[in-house]
Parts: sequence; structure tokens; C-alpha cells
Amino acid sequence: MVTHPLIAMRGIVKRYPGVTALRDVSLSVESGEVMALVGENGAGKSTLLKILAGAARADEGVIEISGETVQVHSPRESQARGIAVIYQELNLANDLSVAENIYVGREPKTRLGTVDFRTMERGAAELLSSLGIDIAPTEIVGNLNIALRQMVEIAKALLIDARVVVMDEPTSSLTEEEVETLLKLVRQLRSNGVSVIYVSHRMREIFEIADRITVMRDGAVVGVRDAKTTTPNDLVHMMVGRELEDLYGVRTSPVDATATPTLEVRGLSSGKLLHDVSFSVRPGEILALAGLIGAGRSDAAMTIFGAAKRGGGEILIDGQPMALRTPREAMDAGIGFVPEDRKHQGLFLGLPVRENMSSASLSKISRLSLVSRRRDRDLARQYAKQLGIRESAIEVAAGTLSGGNQQKVVLARWLARVPKLLILDEPTRGVDVGAKAEIYQLVRKIASEGVAILVISSELTEVLGIADRILVMREGYGVGELAAAEASEKRVMAMATGVQEDVS
Amino acid sequence: MTINGETVKRITQTTLDGGPALPAAARTSLSEKVRHRLLKIITARESTLGAVVILLVLYLSWASPYFFTAGNLTVVGRQIALALLISVGMTFVILIGGIDLSVGSVVALVSVLSGEAMVNAGLPPVVAVILALAAGALVGLVNGSINAFAGIPSFVVTLGMLAVARGLSLGISGGSTISGFPPGFLYIGQGAFLGIPVPVWIAAVVAIVAHFVLTRTTFGRHIYFVGSNEEAAKLSGIRVRRVKISVFVVASTLAAVSGILETARLSVGQPAAGNGYELLAIGAAVIGGTSLFGGVGGILGTALGTSLLLLIQNALILLGISAYWQQAFSGVIIVGAVALNMWRRQRN
Repeated sequence: MVTHPLIAMRGIVKRYPGVTALRDVSLSVESGEVMALVGENGAGKSTLLKILAGAARADEGVIEISGETVQVHSPRESQARGIAVIYQELNLANDLSVAENIYVGREPKTRLGTVDFRTMERGAAELLSSLGIDIAPTEIVGNLNIALRQMVEIAKALLIDARVVVMDEPTSSLTEEEVETLLKLVRQLRSNGVSVIYVSHRMREIFEIADRITVMRDGAVVGVRDAKTTTPNDLVHMMVGRELEDLYGVRTSPVDATATPTLEVRGLSSGKLLHDVSFSVRPGEILALAGLIGAGRSDAAMTIFGAAKRGGGEILIDGQPMALRTPREAMDAGIGFVPEDRKHQGLFLGLPVRENMSSASLSKISRLSLVSRRRDRDLARQYAKQLGIRESAIEVAAGTLSGGNQQKVVLARWLARVPKLLILDEPTRGVDVGAKAEIYQLVRKIASEGVAILVISSELTEVLGIADRILVMREGYGVGELAAAEASEKRVMAMATGVQEDVS
Repeated sequence: MTINGETVKRITQTTLDGGPALPAAARTSLSEKVRHRLLKIITARESTLGAVVILLVLYLSWASPYFFTAGNLTVVGRQIALALLISVGMTFVILIGGIDLSVGSVVALVSVLSGEAMVNAGLPPVVAVILALAAGALVGLVNGSINAFAGIPSFVVTLGMLAVARGLSLGISGGSTISGFPPGFLYIGQGAFLGIPVPVWIAAVVAIVAHFVLTRTTFGRHIYFVGSNEEAAKLSGIRVRRVKISVFVVASTLAAVSGILETARLSVGQPAAGNGYELLAIGAAVIGGTSLFGGVGGILGTALGTSLLLLIQNALILLGISAYWQQAFSGVIIVGAVALNMWRRQRN
């Protein structure tokens, strides 16, 4: 008997007006296999998954499930075929319970026709425990963290007897710890015979979890590799034609250890989130704040930038104590801040790239509050060129750019002010490998020009790759500082979680 | 394809040009620029609406012998002018993602106050007008401050103000109308300059200034930033509260201007003035493409939206359709226009 793969997409072609998004793409997934799908943003991964999910239709090509050619015209049909897609934006009702969310649309009924909450909660509890997820079915989804919400979404998918679960960058907003929990769940799915298509930019996860890896570039598959016999370097090379070592760059000039710190923080406190944190960053130095989500790293950044109320402590800029009560005061003191959540805190998504870039420098391009269109355009052109954003994107709404380009727009906003200190909160979240490398290069370059950099990241490899020194935070306290040379993932993780180093 | 526009561009360029990149790019750039400009005008949000307004005017000129008469045009022009003043202010508020339900009541308050000042207290018209404008500005200051500092949604704050301002005008006037205004004052509502009614001049100047403020000044930019993403605006160093308060002051002050002109036009100060104007203004802004979520829209659209709504009112009268039907028409048009806008945005 010939065995067929569970899912086989063959010769998929998808054309949009003026462009071919997918060119003869094939993807096959065996049952109980974890297939990683990697590629830069714009490589066609999302389009391919949309076709599989029934949200878009292929112009050519076939989809086979267990050897049988099927037509998938709508998300509903796709679900009926056992394909469940977990999108980055979760589809959950935050005010309802876990059980209600899992059973949404297929609630068990009592004889009176009302919802049978008892059966529903029992079923949800069984499903969750079979997946090794420790959540009460009665918990309100809004109270859960993002990782747990994702698991609820996955449980929801399994209730419809999904045979393949598609996860689109499931870990992009998770901490290292939460990632571990999610990977455990993926393994559990695999051992239950469910196939997983796993889209991610994070090499470490991919190699930890995937059986095979399909690499896409410019709308075509450039290769399928066995995870055991390939290396991250090979993959990156296939994706972008660049080696991994080049990703973070290296320090070109030493930091002047005698210079007055650009930023010095003494005993910084803020509400219940931040207690007595002290550190300093010198001109040209890159200091990373490492720790789990909720460790107070972003709160420290917000407090320094005047966006959160300071409860106590001192902030010195170039040795001078500063009040920094509002973002405006912080900006006047020479601080720039790229916030964690690009979409909600960083960008004006509906406004043109140009206006986003000049939004913090309006006084520079205006006279008597009259904005000079010429200077506005010149500023945008200058920074678009410097950051590698194509010029034709300047008048486009910022929300239509890829994650990497969006991040560059936010960076441009602050570079335009020529800051002394740049605070970067999760600068590469949801950014593809190519753009990541560009951002790191840029950070290196800014630092080499004497700007002090404070970077916050939940990706340990990034922290270790880019920082000169690392301050580890836990539960609002600074718990230790490491020089780049003496830091390792293990040591940072041990300090961040509070586990004794020699035990771990 | 907007998501990976970058790859799109790269691919089309290489496939289209094929040959040496530089001369080809230089050759296409000029004609492309012209075509781009034209395409931009044709696909602009406002152009469809502009076409609809023009068609309506053409149709009315053909269908009714009375439409294109000096008398009718003066009446319609004045109505559009008075409504436009309020719609412009409303556009500012909606652009920051807010709403101002109190503008109609401000018209009443200003109407009554200017009557009290000029007729009962005998103040000179200039002083009375300044006082009335100040009262309008004060209402906006209260609206904006409560919204910005207490964080109470503008819908609720201005709903309260709708009742308070209306109540004040009823209380102050004792519910009766005030007449006997000096002729010099009436000129600004009834007079004409170079054959065009004074209110039209005023509204046109206000609309042009407002358009200029929104598109060319830092204050205008700040308004779009706050409406587009308040948090990002705050983190870009924009004084969000100040912007919000200013915007409500603008809206109420423009409502006060409209109220003064209306009082002069009708020669009476009355506590029932301005009833329902807030809905007309919201409708005009929304038809003009201003998004109720903030950050999107502009004065040009609002001016067209206002014209459309009032031309339809005029059409119903001229075509002999009962004025009682007019609200039903307006409602359908508002929803239809928004549906059209959403459809266009989705298609993009």
C-alpha cells in the first residue's frame, strides 16, 4: 500500500495583481510530524497558510489530504477537514471562561436546551489535562497570560478533532519560560499523532521542536531539510544568503570606562513593579536588561522615560540629576524610547511613514508651528535611506509595512532627534532575520557614535549577542550584573528565575 | 498587495524593465509622477463625494426651475455655512477619536446670551459677541478638561453638557424668545458682501483656516497623532491632554460662531435653537470620510458632506416632497456613505 502524507500541497501558484506571491510551492506534512516553515517576511509563508486555511484561493495547484484531492474554499471547510490555524492575533472572547471559549459554537445542551455548563467544564478539564495544561476551565481568559491564552486556542482547535495544527509565529510575544511550556505542548500534540506546521523566526525553537524544515524565499520553496542534519547557519543562508555570525555584529571600538555615564540610575522605584534598581550606561555602551516578563524591565524603561510615575530614586543624565516627569522632559534631556509594543505604543499605523518619522521632531521641521513640507520630506528621505527603507514607502501608511520596516520607522523617529541615550524595548520582536541583522548593525553603529544604549529583550541569544553588559532583573529588583564575556544563557536564566546556578 | 510591498516592487521592476536599470527608471519617473498625481486625485476619498455633490447640483438645476435662482442659492448657501461651522469643529473632535454632542446646545446658549447682552443689558454688539464666543469657549474648556483629566469618555461628558447648556439657556431666558436686536448685528446674519451672504464668507474663511491648521501646522499633526494612537502620541512627547482640551474649545467656539450668526439671521435669541445640530454635524463629518475611531479624515470631506446633506434637504423642498421625510433620507445617506467608505478601505 502506498502511504500518503497527511497534507500535501502541490504546485501552488498564487497571483495578486502585478505580482506572483507563490510560485509552484509544494509542502507536505506527515502525520505526527512537526514541520517548521521558515523564511523572511514576504517570502510567502502567510499566503501559503491562508490557502491551506481556506482564507485565500490558489490560482493553480492542488491540496491533498491523505492522498485525496480536496477543495478548500472557506475556513469552515478547512476546519471540517481537520485543519486548525492558530493566528498570531488570537480569536478568544476575553470576558468568557476557558471552557466557554473552547466550546464556542458547539456548546453541549441540557434537555431544556440551555447550555450544559457542567458537561462543558468537565470536557474542557479533560482536554486540558490530556495536553498537560494546568488551567482551571472556569478561569476567565482575560486573566491568563498570552502563552496560556494560546494554549486555550490550541485546545479549542483539538476539540474539532484537528489533525494538523498550524501555528503562525506562536512564540513572538512569549518569554523564554512560556516558550518552553508551548514547546512541551507541541511535543504532546505530536505524540498524540497530531501534525504541526510551525512558523517561527527563532532558530533555537525550530531546532528544538521540528522534524523537518521547509525554507521559503521570494514566493518559492528553496529547500526542505531534515532538522537533525542541518544547522541554523545553513537555514539562514538559505533564507537570506547570509551567515548567522554576521547577525549581531561585533564591537569595533572599546567603551571608555572612565567617561561619565550618560545615564545613571540610583535606587529607582515605581509602584509595586520596580524596587531599588541601580545601574549606569556609558557613552557608546550597550547595556541589556534581561529577565522574565513582569521582572520590571519595561517598567524601568517607562520610568526613566517619564511615562510611568517614579516612586523613588535618582536619575542622572551626564552626571546631572533630572526630574524627567514626562516623556517630553525625558526627550529634552536627550532620551529616545522605542517601546515594546510597536502597534499600540509605537506607531501611528494609519498615518504615512513620513509623519511617523517626524512625529517627535516637529519643532525641528517647523517655524511658528508651521510645518515645512520640504523639511518634513527631506527628514523622511534621509532616514529612509539611512535605515534601508525604500523611498516609495515614505507616503504609505505605516501599518502596511512589514514588522522589520515598522520597527525601523520607530527607530528613525528617535534617530531624527539625535539622542544621547536610546532605550530599545524588544527591538526585534516579530522581525524577520534579515531585518534583525540590519537593526543590530544600526544599533552597533549608533553606539559607535557615542550614544548610550539600553536594550530590553526576552530573547537570550539577542541579549548575549548584542550587549556589553547585562543587568538581570527579577520581580522588580536588579539581581545581578554580568559582563558580556562572563555571561551565558544558563547563568542569565538562573539569575532571572532565581534558581541556584549550581543546581540548574 | 500591501503586506510585502517591498518584494512586489522589486519583482515588478526587474520583470518590467529588464534592461539597464538607470535610464529606464529615469524615463518612467516623469510620466509616472503625472499619472501618480492624477490617480491620487481620482482615487482620493473625497472625489466620489465631490462627484455626487456636483451631480446633485446638476440634477436640481435641471429638475427644478427654482434651484438656480439667487434667492434659493442664498438660502442654501447660508444654511450650508451655518452647518459647516459646526461640522468643522466636530471634525476636529472626531479626528482625536472623540465626539461632541453639546454643540447644538451651545448654539442655543449663545443665542440666548447674545439676546440678553444686546437687548436686555444694552451692551454694544461687539462686546456681546465677544462674551458669547467666550461662553462657547468656556463650554469647550469644561468638556475637554473633564474628558482629558478625569478620563470620562467624551460621549458621556458632552451628553451631560448637552443637557446642561440647553438647561442654562432655558433657565436664563425663562423659556421665551428675545427679539429687538440692533440692525448692525443683524447684518452679519442677513447681509451680503459682493453679493455673497456674510455667513458664507465667514464659514469659507473658517473652513480654509481649519484645513490649513490640520494639514500644515504642528497642532494639526498632533491632532492626527492623538487620534491615530494616543499612547504612541504620549510616548512621542506630545502633550495629549492639551491637544484634547484645545480641540473641544475649537468645536464649542465654532458652534458659538454659528449660534451668533443664526441669531442674527433669524433676529431672535431663542432657547430652542440648534436642536439636533450635533447629529447633522456628525453625519456630515462621517459622510466626508472622517473615521469615528479617529486619525482619519479632513475638512474637504466634511465640507462636501455638509453640502450634500443640506442640498438634499433643499431638494426635498424644491421637489415638493414633504419635509417630514427629510430625516429618513439623511439617515440612509449617512449609513450608505460610511458603508461605501469601509468597502473602499477593505478593497485597498
